[in-house]
Amino acid sequence: MDKILRINMGADGGPKAEAEPVGSYAGMGGRALTSAIVSKEVPPTCHPLSEDNKLVIAPGLLSGSAAAMSGRISVGCKSPLTGGIKEANSGGQPSQMIGRLGYAAIVLEGKPKDDTLYRIYINKDKVEIKADKSLKMLGNYAVAEKMKAEYGDKVGCISIGPAGEMKMAAASVAFTDMEFRPTRHAGRGGVGAVMGSKGVKVIVVDDAGCSVRSPKDADRFKEANKAFVAGLRKHAVTGQGLPTYGTNVLTNVINEAGAYPTKNFMWGRFDGCSKISGETQAETENTRGGEGSATHGCHRGCVIRCSGTYYDKDGHYLTKQPEYETVWAHGGNCGIDDLDTIAMLDRLDDDYGLDTIEMGATIGVAMEAGIAKFGDAQAAISLVKEVGKGSPLGRILGNGAAVTGRVFGVERVPVVKGQSMPAYDPRGVQGIGVTYATTTQGADHTAGYAVTANILGVGGSVNPLKPEGQIELSRNLQIATAAIDSTGMCLFIAFAILDQPDTFQALLDLLGSFNGQKLTGDDVVGLGKSILTMERDFNRRAGFTKEMDRLPDYFKKEKLPPHDVTFMVKDSDLDQVFNW
Amino acid sequence: MKPSTQRTTTAPREIALTMSRNAVSRFLPLLGEGILLKGPGGETVEAFLVKTAGVSPAYLKERVQTVFLNGKALDDFSTARVADEATLALSAAMPGLAGAVLRRGGIYAPMRRQISHEAQSQNAGGGEIYITLKLFNMVARELGPEFLKRGVLVPGVRLKDFMERQGRWAWEGCLSVKIDGRPAEVGPAAELIANSHWIRLSVHASG
Ligand code: SF4
Repeated sequence: MDKILRINMGADGGPKAEAEPVGSYAGMGGRALTSAIVSKEVPPTCHPLSEDNKLVIAPGLLSGSAAAMSGRISVGCKSPLTGGIKEANSGGQPSQMIGRLGYAAIVLEGKPKDDTLYRIYINKDKVEIKADKSLKMLGNYAVAEKMKAEYGDKVGCISIGPAGEMKMAAASVAFTDMEFRPTRHAGRGGVGAVMGSKGVKVIVVDDAGCSVRSPKDADRFKEANKAFVAGLRKHAVTGQGLPTYGTNVLTNVINEAGAYPTKNFMWGRFDGCSKISGETQAETENTRGGEGSATHGCHRGCVIRCSGTYYDKDGHYLTKQPEYETVWAHGGNCGIDDLDTIAMLDRLDDDYGLDTIEMGATIGVAMEAGIAKFGDAQAAISLVKEVGKGSPLGRILGNGAAVTGRVFGVERVPVVKGQSMPAYDPRGVQGIGVTYATTTQGADHTAGYAVTANILGVGGSVNPLKPEGQIELSRNLQIATAAIDSTGMCLFIAFAILDQPDTFQALLDLLGSFNGQKLTGDDVVGLGKSILTMERDFNRRAGFTKEMDRLPDYFKKEKLPPHDVTFMVKDSDLDQVFNW
Repeated sequence: MKPSTQRTTTAPREIALTMSRNAVSRFLPLLGEGILLKGPGGETVEAFLVKTAGVSPAYLKERVQTVFLNGKALDDFSTARVADEATLALSAAMPGLAGAVLRRGGIYAPMRRQISHEAQSQNAGGGEIYITLKLFNMVARELGPEFLKRGVLVPGVRLKDFMERQGRWAWEGCLSVKIDGRPAEVGPAAELIANSHWIRLSVHASG
């Protein structure tokens, strides 16, 4: 991965591709690379849909190698949803393929002079960019089918659906999975709209003839990989909970804690929760699709396999196993307690190319505005179809919860920096609220997955009894997350490396042996800090102030039943998160 | 519905199902909705679970990573006491920050101070009490089959709703039915579920 493929979609005479040495970006991958390129090369005040913005697609540092869990991919740009820097990441097959093709990143730059829609094909010998009218307004599933018919099923696709073409701020970028379905999405922040603004419908990556990336220290790498996999398999979360139930295992637990945002964050408990829980979902999938349907990887090389396959009542494929956030967003948040409806909404989102969290939160706001009733499953499906059609109502909804709230005069809009909150009410779990408020990304839950902070010892040891403990914990989590996002490792490895120092050491060895270096926890901390510093700097230059690192006021005023709690972390404390 | 607030005044009717081995797990989500347990009052959470629910102390310590008492995360189940009409929920280790935060005595526990269970200074009282017990995720998978074999007390309306949601799979794999100890057909069992306030349901794996 020693080159960057730059594709200028606005070049004179038509789009042009050029590979250049990775240069000063050497040694970076995933989020570190997307954020470095965006912060250095994109004018912070540019319009996100303008020719000045860039869409950076970067596999992780170990993508394309034999390292387990290394196939995540980052997509970065200036976000049309938040107006700040964005990194959204995804699973799927393309990450490993791009790694094997030797690219540290693919960067889409400029903008076509007209509304021509392009497809790009990349293999080891060439980059082919063709105008293709036939793809216009196709859903991601149809695009994948078309590409498969043309290039076979050994390639990978990165595509946008109609939402991306319509440049909606909730539009995602889809990545095909092991079954060649476009089910894996870089969902957050409107990255699909930026791809749409570049006039690119699909990028087909073909690694035929490329070999697996080989480590500098092969023996150490092999040993480390073995220890890493063994560590993941033996841990209760990564070896049992996630494979058996997927992330939706959280529904019952968060609901019991009274922190499950229900009906647009009005309550902390949802009566219909057990009908849509991970336990019910897994049993439904295994019953309808056969034992094992609830356990599946989102890309080759995943040993945790938190995903699965959802079948309809007649046993036909409907969508991949909806994740916890999706089940919440389209379920409890909208008062909907029917898994089949939620799965259908997930399928529509994937096909139109929409972020499921943003869409669920938006429909929740629309329901509060009286456009539909909470709990009305058919109305929710119709609203998402409006988005797919691009009707005037659909265009409003497709631009997210903040826009929808503004258009329909709703005060209770659960967003930070314009991006919807995920599935944990910050009044219930206040430390998560600190993270929602202060991340560079807008309200984001993934910062919470890297629970490695204590073993990294970031910023000194935390005294959990002091009130400022929550600030320190959130800071440490954000640093650790930024670092893991750069490795291309799935964030779900976090539990095993939190609890098992030997698994953490195996991860360090895996990363170090690949490049023939010795890596320490301090190096990882340094990487995380440098990414956050770059991102904060970009946001500051884009006009962000500390006043934007806040939750909406109503979280401080409205008590959340059943525990009747408000968000109580002081603004002055929030301002300390990045003081290291 | 909180089943513990609606005591069983008359002895509940009993339905015993024998299911093919792989069909038993379909009933596990029912345990996440809550079953009614009767036991001595004034006990700690740990003692109650060991004495009344038959859970081993080692299992509680090693596998049960998150415990909720009345919806509040509990850090020490050897001191907190259960009172009448309490709801207890047991979960194995959970992913994500939320999972870490809700863990018993974990380093992220301060992040949920507002929803943590505080040790009660008052006595929870003696006598006989009813509590609702919920088993989630791997805990349901590991303890659930034994609970189901022994029989669980659930509201009829909830069981009816649960069976209806299974659609055409509701009775699939059901090899035999007994009502109050006597052999019966699926039809009368379904009818009994629909018309009973409480049901003691037991599910046995064949073979
Ligand atoms: S654990 Fe889940 S999200 Fe992570 S790589 Fe595996 S399937 Fe994908």
